[in-house]
Amino acid sequence: MSSIALRNLGARKLRTFLTALAIVLGVMMVAGTYVLTDTIEQSFDKIFTESNEGVDAVVTSKQVVETDDGQEPPIEASLLEAVRGVDGVAEAAGTISDPQVAIIDPDGDRVGGGGAPTFAFSTTPERFDPLEYPEGGPPQADDEVVIDKAAAETAGYELGDEVTLAGKQEASRYTLVGLATLGDIESFGGASIALLTLPEAQRITGKQGRFDSITVAGADGVSQDALANRIAAVLPDSSEVETGEANTQSQQDDVGEFIGILKTVLLVFAGVSLFVASFLIFNTFSITVAQRTREFAMLRTLGANRRQIITSLVIEALAIGLAASVLGLLAGIAFAPVIGLLFDVLEIGLPKEGTVVETRTIVTAIVLGTGLAVLAALVPALRATRVPPVVGLREGASLETSAGRRRRGLVGLALAVIGIVLMALGLFGVLSPGEAWLGVGAAVVFIGVALLSPRLVRPLASIVGMPLQRLSGVAGRLARENSIRNPGRTATTAAALMIGLALVSFVTVFAAGLKGSVDKAIDEGITAELRLSNTDGFSDIPARTATAIEGVEGVEAASPYRYTQALIEGDKGFLSLVDPATVNDVFDFDWREGSAETAAGLGPTDAVVDDNWARDNGLGVGDAFAVTTPSGREISYTVTGTIKDNTDFFGDYFASDANAAAYNEADNITSSFVRLADGADEEATREQIEGIVDTGFPTVQTQNRQEIKDSIGDELSQLLGVVYALLGLAVIVSLFGIVNTLALSIYERTRELGLLRAVGMSRRQVRRIIRYEAVITALIGAVLGLVLGVVFAILVSRPLADEGFTLVIPVATLLVLMVLAAIAGVLAAIAPARRASRLDVLDALAYE
Amino acid sequence: MSQSPIVAAQDLVRVFGEGDAAVRAIDGVSVDFPDGAFTAIMGPSGSGKSTLMHMLAGLDRPTEGSVTIDGVELAGLDDAELTELRRDKIGFVFQFFNLLPVLTADENILLPLSLAGRDPDPKLHEQLVAAVGLGDRLGHRPSELSGGQQQRVAVARALISEPAVVFADEPTGNLDSKSSDEVLSLLRGAVDEFGQTVVMVTHEAHAAAIADRVVVLVDGRVVADEAPESTEQVLDLMKQVAA
Repeated sequence: MSSIALRNLGARKLRTFLTALAIVLGVMMVAGTYVLTDTIEQSFDKIFTESNEGVDAVVTSKQVVETDDGQEPPIEASLLEAVRGVDGVAEAAGTISDPQVAIIDPDGDRVGGGGAPTFAFSTTPERFDPLEYPEGGPPQADDEVVIDKAAAETAGYELGDEVTLAGKQEASRYTLVGLATLGDIESFGGASIALLTLPEAQRITGKQGRFDSITVAGADGVSQDALANRIAAVLPDSSEVETGEANTQSQQDDVGEFIGILKTVLLVFAGVSLFVASFLIFNTFSITVAQRTREFAMLRTLGANRRQIITSLVIEALAIGLAASVLGLLAGIAFAPVIGLLFDVLEIGLPKEGTVVETRTIVTAIVLGTGLAVLAALVPALRATRVPPVVGLREGASLETSAGRRRRGLVGLALAVIGIVLMALGLFGVLSPGEAWLGVGAAVVFIGVALLSPRLVRPLASIVGMPLQRLSGVAGRLARENSIRNPGRTATTAAALMIGLALVSFVTVFAAGLKGSVDKAIDEGITAELRLSNTDGFSDIPARTATAIEGVEGVEAASPYRYTQALIEGDKGFLSLVDPATVNDVFDFDWREGSAETAAGLGPTDAVVDDNWARDNGLGVGDAFAVTTPSGREISYTVTGTIKDNTDFFGDYFASDANAAAYNEADNITSSFVRLADGADEEATREQIEGIVDTGFPTVQTQNRQEIKDSIGDELSQLLGVVYALLGLAVIVSLFGIVNTLALSIYERTRELGLLRAVGMSRRQVRRIIRYEAVITALIGAVLGLVLGVVFAILVSRPLADEGFTLVIPVATLLVLMVLAAIAGVLAAIAPARRASRLDVLDALAYE
Repeated sequence: MSQSPIVAAQDLVRVFGEGDAAVRAIDGVSVDFPDGAFTAIMGPSGSGKSTLMHMLAGLDRPTEGSVTIDGVELAGLDDAELTELRRDKIGFVFQFFNLLPVLTADENILLPLSLAGRDPDPKLHEQLVAAVGLGDRLGHRPSELSGGQQQRVAVARALISEPAVVFADEPTGNLDSKSSDEVLSLLRGAVDEFGQTVVMVTHEAHAAAIADRVVVLVDGRVVADEAPESTEQVLDLMKQVAA
């Protein structure tokens, strides 16, 4: 029996190929994700191991709040003497490593474009220095700098050139005295480094008298653990010590956490592709099994039992699955860098050196691909063998009864409802983790709608087929009839496309809502004409930027604004610090309790809170809440007012910046909002501001409200673009589904096509029928997908409605998606249509 | 009966396969089919009668020789022209699978015209529908019709475009005798009433007997060509050629 199974594969090459292709694409994405993330992780490990060489212990401050910007609070320089005094310490050095500086290229732009960070490092004694200097050597004077070789090449700097660095202080110029590399590591994934003398590094990062860390080398015979223990004894509570190994490990863990998130996101998209692929596999097996019903019946009458037939089909699936998984694995290894390009688009610079293929990657890829193929084949196999041989031998035996169809519809409806309920439960926090249940719910909805959709095929085909029929009479009519002839088949094919399109339209609708809400919040909440912020869109800018432009003619107020993190009532949360004197000039708050006077009169421990957050925490005006700042200070705030904060712009609360130092934010601000004087010339004022900013603070950009909206829009569309690209794979898989279904249907209808050709149908007309059939199928998928996508968006945006999320249905975009789906249908039809039109009339007529 | 032939075949040869395996299915056949005549092509299995018909109808190309239909030489036509010729000048009735399952009986009848984008002659349409005798089943799909009804629809479909010639390939081969008679009288009626030219391939003597002329093929050659008198006479003729 198994040899029959394998011979079948050979005999049906095209079908086997297309089914395998679906699995290959799905597995490719999974394998590619693993290879890419493993490669990134390994590259980071190498960087960390290399840079911690010769380091036996590291002293850092104790992080009270793990902020998301990678900044750790510095430690006092005075600790260095204490550490040096510890028995067993051979050498100890204070170091700076600050990720918020920028190397400015000769054109005045930052090197690396603001994606990956630039680190300011201080020089260290030779035993700690991980860098190698292919040209020049470490800086000796405060006006000298060394940058990494890659950055120098990008910017076109050579030894002796004047290099500008921007940090927490006004930009400074240095002479380039050396180029550095980290061991044999070529790239830090777009990140750059600028090496300065210790005092200069402290100055430009605003850490005079402080270090980011103290690195320690132990004397011979002192273990890292013993060394760390002895150092710990002399440290104050605000700082901590790790062994060199532990420090490397914790750096790796930090990165690992971030890469873990990336991996999860990518695997979700890979899962979508595989999910779609399994529809395709299922459909292909269903069709081919149906076509072979007579063959099976014949085998049964010859004495084959049910199990033998099932086994033969499963072996067929196993062989396809295994071969496709291996191909998918290989394709994934090749494809990993392509996925990596997506990060480059998002300007997430990550080092990716070499190709890491873990055993786990191989096992997962093969088990997933093969397992899915077998699972998808099992149902059709069971169904086929349930037909009594005598019935099966009759021509046109149907594998499905009408009762079976009805049951299928009911099960589909039930699943769709259950899926929606699961999504809602995940969304409103009843089931956790919410995202996972949301995903499971969506998958269940998809399966439900797929089961239900055979009933929707007829009406939908009538609607979308109508214009085609108008357009070209009999070809359109035949295409429509053909597509509803086997509703289950069309439905499954369309359902595969539906999944991709539902997700695409969901993110489209959701992003449009997000954009609309943000625009509205900016228009209604910000009264400042201009904003100064970092060109990378997220880093801080020097606080002095705000003061530097205060005297400019036409500037009424330059209000510093800080968006930062703290432990708020024990949980990490976001908050804003504002300048009470000018805050009302630049923001128009939507007060629930209190008024502009409340903001103007904010004392150091007064806070105005987001009314949603206040409600969730049972807080009202007059109540107090506790905050632990990143520097470790405990502040008890008193609520003096509440605002409605759409889009959560201010975080949980905003307070006076009198306490900025407690948040380690004395020298930095997130942005400065500028209010122009009445009647001031906006153009001229802006030009003056930019004149000051460009020379002193090259990483600061000036934007008006429209530009702020545009830049948010750009970021959103970039993200959207990446999501589209990731979903694109699922859509491509589903298009192969259309190709496959068409090819199989044509094979079934060979005689019909022969007859049509005999009575005078031209090849063009034949192609048109097939093309229209593909378009109808694609449009059914599109309609189902778009409707589901909108439903998902409505559902998922419910909890955000409180935050002022207004759902906007981008009708034009959705229509474009419909048109694209139709075009995709046309493309999918090219090969099958060619095949159909080339059929020899006589052969086709004689075809049995 | 009249002057110039609607379909003319000259020295037709059709070879299948190559070298030692080559088979001459049609081995030098010249035959004319005059306007308005009902001709039956008979012969035992493997005599080449279907192959001959396929070449006459432009479905297959002869290895040697030529075919003209209504004055058009088929050898010079490409696929698109042949398709158009079949659509406009030829009607087909096959043994099985004549109708598209997704179209209604009436849509099947009108199919050749729909393909050409032409409107039917309402009078002819009405006449044919009446002749098919389907009554209220005209809107039904083929699967809801009996074999005889399906075949009568196929005949009407072949006649609707007023073709120069109707080729029928074993049109009664799959039918009981009553249905068979109905289909044959429909074809006969077309010849008598509209002056339709019909070429029918059959192995049934009683079907051939209603034709105006019987051409008998054996081993790819014409061995008899005469007007039939009765079923018995055709049977006798077949016995003679078989001997």
